[in-house]
Amino acid sequence: MKFADFISQDAICAELKATDKEGVIREIVQALLDAGRVESDEFEGVVKAILKREELGSTGIGRGVAVPHTKHPSVDQLVGTVAVSKTGVDFASLDGEPVHLFFLLISPPHRPGDHLRALENISRQLRNDTFCRFLKQAKNPADIQLVLEEADNNQFGS
Amino acid sequence: MSETKATRTVTVENEEGIHVRAADLIAKQVRQFDAKVVLAKGSHRVEGTEVLQILSLGALPGDQVVLEADGADAEQVLDAMARLFADGFGPNE
Repeated sequence: MKFADFISQDAICAELKATDKEGVIREIVQALLDAGRVESDEFEGVVKAILKREELGSTGIGRGVAVPHTKHPSVDQLVGTVAVSKTGVDFASLDGEPVHLFFLLISPPHRPGDHLRALENISRQLRNDTFCRFLKQAKNPADIQLVLEEADNNQFGS
Repeated sequence: MSETKATRTVTVENEEGIHVRAADLIAKQVRQFDAKVVLAKGSHRVEGTEVLQILSLGALPGDQVVLEADGADAEQVLDAMARLFADGFGPNE
């Protein structure tokens, strides 16, 4: 699965304002709402479901990356986006490091395969330091989109 | 302490595959033993202590994963890992 298959381009955030876990999740889901990927009456439900998943264990998977996610019946295909925090966010990561890169995923129930293939793609690309550095240094959503397109075209190797 | 090697093939039994929490459980389990563990799906091989690498396997339900352990606790760590896979990594997310 490629980034183009699940990243909502219109919801990419190049500079998150929020500085705590709940604030970041709200800001990213709001971006998905503004991009028309999440319905406004589902906003609170999606945010709460993602926060509830975080209670089971942080999705901060190391190397300054987190993949907050949930299943939610309001989506009929995998919905996701990317957000960058320049300052870093305390996300109670597995390695204790602040998080700079967020890949937020909302999956339809009963479709675990798509969620897993998205995680596979994200984690394979993140093994490449250049990909991580380019994302963190991106100044605007268009730059981020370009980095994702280059990753989709295997320009960073895997 | 004598060095030992052990290999076992396990199947991903749970409906969700190796998701984030499962990868975290695997890494935490491996760290408790005196053995280096590699997980392999086909030709893709990853370190058993690295959550990000384990996720990069993209292991789906029904996939076979080869576990290779090298160290004093090789057999014990594979026993623990086999239980983890058989239990489906605990309750679903």
